[in-house]
Parts: sequence; C-alpha cells; structure tokens
Amino acid sequence: MSEKAEKLGAEKERQWPTKTEFTPEMLAEMEKLLPSKLNRVVAASLAGCIHCGMCSDACHYSVSIPEDKTLVPAYKADKFRKWYKSRYDWMAKVFPSFVGAEPLTKELAEEMYDKLFGGCTMCRRCTVNCPMGVDYGMMVRAARSMMQQVGRVPQHLQDTVDTHYNAGNNMAVPQDEMIETIEWIEEELQDEEGCENFKIPVDKKGARYFLTLNPREPKYYPLTIQATAKVLNAAGVDFTISSRYWDLTNYALFNGNDPDAKLFSQWQVDDVKRLGCEYLLAGECGHGYRALRWELPNWVGGVPFKITSVLELFAKLILEKRIKLDKSVWDGTRFTYHDSCNIARSGGIWKEPRIVINAAANDFVEMEHHGPESFCCGGGGGALAMPEFTPRRIAAGKIKADEIRATGANVCLQSCHNCTDQLKEIIEHYHIDAKVMNLAELLSPALVL
Amino acid sequence: MENNVSHALLFLEEEVQYICLAFMALMYVIKISLLLKKPVPPEKAELKGDRVAGAFESLLNVLKPWSMESTRKNTYFYVEFLIFHIAVVLTIGATFLIPLTPQFMTPAVTQLFMIFMGLAFLIGLRRIHRRFTVPEIRIISSPDDFFAIILMTVFFATGFVALYFWLNKMPETAWMWIFFLMTTFFLLYVPFSKISHYILYPFGRVNFGRTFGGRGVTNTKAKSSDWNPTL
Ligand code: SF4
Ligand code: SF4
Repeated sequence: MSEKAEKLGAEKERQWPTKTEFTPEMLAEMEKLLPSKLNRVVAASLAGCIHCGMCSDACHYSVSIPEDKTLVPAYKADKFRKWYKSRYDWMAKVFPSFVGAEPLTKELAEEMYDKLFGGCTMCRRCTVNCPMGVDYGMMVRAARSMMQQVGRVPQHLQDTVDTHYNAGNNMAVPQDEMIETIEWIEEELQDEEGCENFKIPVDKKGARYFLTLNPREPKYYPLTIQATAKVLNAAGVDFTISSRYWDLTNYALFNGNDPDAKLFSQWQVDDVKRLGCEYLLAGECGHGYRALRWELPNWVGGVPFKITSVLELFAKLILEKRIKLDKSVWDGTRFTYHDSCNIARSGGIWKEPRIVINAAANDFVEMEHHGPESFCCGGGGGALAMPEFTPRRIAAGKIKADEIRATGANVCLQSCHNCTDQLKEIIEHYHIDAKVMNLAELLSPALVL
Repeated sequence: MENNVSHALLFLEEEVQYICLAFMALMYVIKISLLLKKPVPPEKAELKGDRVAGAFESLLNVLKPWSMESTRKNTYFYVEFLIFHIAVVLTIGATFLIPLTPQFMTPAVTQLFMIFMGLAFLIGLRRIHRRFTVPEIRIISSPDDFFAIILMTVFFATGFVALYFWLNKMPETAWMWIFFLMTTFFLLYVPFSKISHYILYPFGRVNFGRTFGGRGVTNTKAKSSDWNPTL
C-alpha cells in the first residue's frame, strides 16, 4: 500500500456553475454553440425526421406512460428540431410555423431541458426502429451538451461529473481507501473455500488485463468485485486493478461535456500505459463499457491497447473451458437477463451474456424484447443522477417491470450498475418477487474450483 | 398511345417541366453539399463489424420489413408504405413518359399506373385521417406534414383521372392540365418540404449503418475471438 494517498483528478478543483432557469444570455450563448454541434449525424437526424410516428411504440417512456403524448420520441426531439429549423430550414425562413420552426425562447429551452434530460435515456431504441435512421443518442447528447455548457444541467448529474473531475472517480473514493477496500475484499475472497491463493493485484505492472470498476462497487457492492475477481482467478487470468484511474464511468457521456469526457478518458489511457497492460477491461457497467470501448478511442484519438468487457472475457473463458461450472447450484432458480442499452444496442454485446448464463444455469427465460431490441430499464442516460425526474423514471420502467414479471424469473440478471439500481427500484415499486444480480454473481457460486 | 395535345400543354409538359426540374436539381445539389460539408464523427475504436457492409445493409432497410420491430409488427402499415412509394415513382414516371415516350403508355401500362395511383389515393386518405386522429401522430405534425400528404393524395387522384381520360384517347383534358400544373408546383415546392426526405434517407441510413454495423450490432464480421465468441 502506498505511503501517502495521491491527489487524483484535476489539479485545480472546480464546481460547474449551474443555473435553475434559462436567461437571455444563456440562450444567446447556445445560439453561438449550435453550429459547432452539427456534425453530419446530428444534422441529418435533425433534418431527417418525417414525423411518421413509427418510433412511438419503441420508447419505454411513451409505451409505459401512454397517456402523456409529449413523451413520444419525435415530440421530444422536436423541441430541439424546432430551434434547429428556425436557423437552418429554408422554408422556415419564410413560413416558420408552417414547418414547425420556433426561435429558441426561454419556454422552448425549458421544454428541451425537461424532455431531453428528463424524458430520454439516449437508449436509441427509437433509432433502431426509425426508417430514417435518426440517431437520438447523438442528437440528444448534442442538445444536452449546449444546455450543460451554459449551466442548465441537472445538479446531481453535474455534481457526479464534477466529483470525477476533482477526485479522479465519480464518488470521490480516496486512493488509500480504495486500496484498503481491495485488500479487504481480497481477504474475504481468500476466506472462501478453494480460494486461499486467489489475489486481487493492485498496480501490477505488465498485467494482461487492466480491470476497471464502477465506484458503486467499492462503495456499496464490494461483493461484485469479489465475485469478478474469483472468476478471473479461477480461470488464471492475469489482471490488475489500478490504484489511480480504476473508475470506468464517464458521466460526461450523459451531460454532453466533451472536454471532460476526453479528460477522464485520457487519465485512464495514461494509467493503462503506466501499467503496460494489453487490455483495458470494462467491468459490468453499461455506459462505462460504451464510453471505454466505443467513445474513448474517439475522444483521445486512438489507443495503443485493446479494450474489452468482462462479459466478452467471461464468455471466452467459458468457451475455452478455462472455468468449470456446476449448474446444479442454481437449480430451482429461474433467471432472465436485462440487456443494458449501452452494452447490447449501442455496444454489440448480447450473445456473450447468453453464453455465460446458459453455462451457469438451467432455467433461463428471455424477456419478450431482448438483445439489441431490449427496452431500456429507465435508468440509462444519467437518469439515476436526476432526482427531479424520479417519478417519471419509475413510471417509464413499467414496460420493463411487466416483461420481467411475465418471465416468472426469481432473478433478473444484468451487467450494469445503473440498471441494477433502476431494476431494484422498479421491481419493488411494481411488486415483483425477484432479485437483481450481475453475471459475476451468477458465475461465482457455480465455479468448480 | 399518342400525345396529341395543344402546343400550350406540350410546352407545360416539356419546357416548363425541364426548367423546374433543373431548379429542383440545383436545390438538391445545394442541400446535399451542405450536409456533406458537415464533419463526420471519427471512428477510431477497433471494430467488431464492418462499417461499409453495415451502411449497405442499412440502405436496404427499406426493403427489409423484418429488420425493425416497427415494420415487423405493422405489416399492413409497411405494405401501405410500399404501395404509396411505388405509386410515387410511377406517377413521376408518367409525367416523363407521357410527353417523351407516349407509345410506352399502352393501355396495359396505363392501367397498372392507375391501379397504383388509385391505391395510393386511398392510402393517402387513410394517412390523412391517421394524422388528424391518432393523438401521438397529431401532436408531432406540423402544417407541412398535413399539406404534404394532402397534396400527394390529391396528386394521385388527379393523375388517376387524367390517365383514365388518356386511356380513353383524350390526352388533353382539364385533368391533364391540373396534373402537369401540380407536377410543376411539386418540382418547385418539394426541395423545401418534408417530401424531399428521400434526399436525407441515404444520409440517415448510412450514418446508422456505419455506427451500428461497425459495432457489430447489425453486422458481425469480427475476425477475432475477442470480439466474436463463436470463433
Ligand atoms: S420514426 Fe424516425 S422519422 Fe419517424 S417520427 Fe420517429 S424519429 Fe421521426
Ligand atoms: S433514445 Fe430511448 S428514451 Fe430517448 S426517445 Fe428514443 S427510445 Fe425514448
């Protein structure tokens, strides 16, 4: 353990100035920012909607809360589109209301805030159901980014990003506390039968895999770290956890702040290089996986190592027969699996979890919508960090709750800490008799050591 | 069939159309070049799929109703969409064939065109009704949305009647005049309206296919077992 805890995060601490309402100055600033946000995907998504309404049945908000028609995807996106049209649509120059164009007023901006922060998890389920290929992930992030830039951003979401900026991880876990936690988890792991020699190496130079974690794990769910470490040890995987930038989350994906997203990514890239690891390994975290695997290389301009997820690694270990599992430990338990949007739809991983589950359990039932077509649980897009929208978030989880109930499962598996919290809340709220577990927790008890 | 019409109608069917068509093409060139000037988001991540194949697959999405839940579960809606858009192509085709190669507009061909126009007219009526009455559609509709579908529906009806007279060897009727006047209006209006979505379709689909194809969601070409567990 290091003698003195390092100060991680940015040298100079900051608190992003947030605002509770839009002012004319903020609107003027957003007007200036708009052109810089219009890359080809965002511009085509804003211009390309034909108001066909085929996305209406795709969104968990509009499906779960059918009485509120303002939650249909196209209506929500139109709050941004109206402003865009007022600037760029040819017809809008002459007949603005004919094409639904509106200048950016305080009222329109507030509606944009309400719908695009509090009414969209950027899950892209509407995108994969849109004949025009409108990319809500990119478009909504562009809108959020401008609002965040001028200070109109959900306070708690911004606090999460600020904490990451100031402390190097989003829960301000100090370096010495993190190392102590890992050491304690290692002791707990070694107390398990057959695990006496298992290790959780910290800062091991040259380890093959650089394992990253969600800060909720050391803080509230240390058993998931223990379970993951047990599987990796059982398979003889050479891994390490960094004492520095081990946090795989990047909430700047959700508030839209590119410089922060890039900064957090760069810290992690430098840390992987410091330890000389071959793989940056994402733990079970939805947006964290997407941020590392698909966004980080773009934010930092490419990386000299590979990036993968424990889901891919677990599946590989099973297919290569590097771990042995006894399915009978789960006899009497029925499982279903919730695909995190950022892992499946935006990340391309949905076969791997099924390989894992089918290797560890006999009774697995799919939800009606699964894989890339899975409904968002309602906890994505930073929704859990926006307490002001909690009632809507819980209401929007109804379709997922209904689908879990229909499987008759006792356990809803998932691979994301935001999903964990949301699933636990909706399972309780909608009175479903099921537990929520991640895949490491499924594998760990079934391991034959 | 012969296009024995007055000089005035011929002038409308040919010269006026060409001028308006040139205007439309110019507007599209500007529109497309403005979009092409926008930066493409970079992709530096190691791919699991194929971005080019993904883009091609995505472009063909329109012909694959099974690829999206929204069309898979609404077969009727998709069939309507297909007929409507085939009718658009045929109706536009008729405006070229009538003045340029009237001999091609035989009774059989004309009747085929009329069937599609008639069906598209009925579909148009249903779509207008839907836009007015289905709350989630109405709430997202702007006047342009209503105007576009009403205009198209009237256009199909006009084309249908004009072709009916054409079939009965009456190439110059008030209906044919209205049909070509509407065509003229379309050529001038469409670049500014939502009807020009077919210009944006390739952009949206290619963007979608590159993103989701590259990530191995719609296209899995990964050669490494790191990214494809079944290898
Ligand atoms: S499906 Fe696509 S084009 Fe249709 S309304 Fe929704 S976003 Fe617009
Ligand atoms: S991205 Fe997801 S939450 Fe947002 S509108 Fe589309 S389906 Fe709804």
